[in-house]
Amino acid sequence: MMKWEADDLPKYFEAKEYIDTVLVPLIPIQLSNEADSLKLANYQKTLQIIAREAERDFAGRMLLSPVYTYVQAASYQKEQERINQWIQLLFKEDFKHVFFLTFDVKWKKEEKGLDGTLLWLPGTVIENYQSVLTKKWINEQTSQLNELIKSFW
Amino acid sequence: MSEKKQQVSRRQFLNYTLTGVGGFMAASMLAPMVRFAIDPVLTASTAGEMQAVVDVSEITTDPQRFDWTVEQVDAWYTSDVTHSAWVYKNENDEIVPLSPTCTHLGCSVSWAGNEDYPDQFYCPCHDGRYQKDGTNVADTPPPAPLALYEYEVRDGTLYLGQPVPRGGV
Repeated sequence: MMKWEADDLPKYFEAKEYIDTVLVPLIPIQLSNEADSLKLANYQKTLQIIAREAERDFAGRMLLSPVYTYVQAASYQKEQERINQWIQLLFKEDFKHVFFLTFDVKWKKEEKGLDGTLLWLPGTVIENYQSVLTKKWINEQTSQLNELIKSFW
Repeated sequence: MSEKKQQVSRRQFLNYTLTGVGGFMAASMLAPMVRFAIDPVLTASTAGEMQAVVDVSEITTDPQRFDWTVEQVDAWYTSDVTHSAWVYKNENDEIVPLSPTCTHLGCSVSWAGNEDYPDQFYCPCHDGRYQKDGTNVADTPPPAPLALYEYEVRDGTLYLGQPVPRGGV
């Protein structure tokens, strides 16, 4: 498992030559309005689950980056510059494939400026994570996401 | 006279009670600390329990992937962790529950994951391959066969425990 965790990082440094892919979740936050905040918090949880599932399948080739968190009302132009700076400083040298994973549709418009491939999934608010339907949905999302990532290799 | 009657002197009585109360207080403070210190030891046993995975009737001769979720407690943090297994029945009607974790670097393998090798497990990360019984194919990256889960069948349900690694070829 290659996550940003003290248990995993030694494995990353040991197997560095095999790890050429990084997945960066992009997660917006805001606190000005209750309904939207709840929605974003729910999206965050779901996106993390999907990211971890993808990581579970590709642990030997993909590093799951810490989440890039930004304020929803902020300038996407500025965030994009900062994200690209992350990529340059952290991942540019060792990673051939950089993927961004998000439910935030606004990135779709900024896609070209991002230093990597945007994987945008339409979000759904999930009420019961234990339900069979939710599990099925998450499985579907994960397996399609994985197909997509594989197609870049 | 009166001193003879007193079998427990005032000083002794105070000593006993203070030691008793003090000891009780010390014990009540230490007990949770000790418990806290060895807590992971106490919970470790639950992680090794067998988990119900699937009804035996669903298992076929073709490997199928089954997922199950366990609550994992890492000292301060409880999380749901999903595990998977590739399960099939071999020609002797024995259940073979294979761990999907590639022995190379830990990606998940899938049965017939590559069109060119429909009768093998395939790892998409670095093209590792395994035979149906989990043996790694020579000249592909994996150094060892896929691990086999401990298993048992109770009341028609397959229970899986820990994956047991097998030695390299």
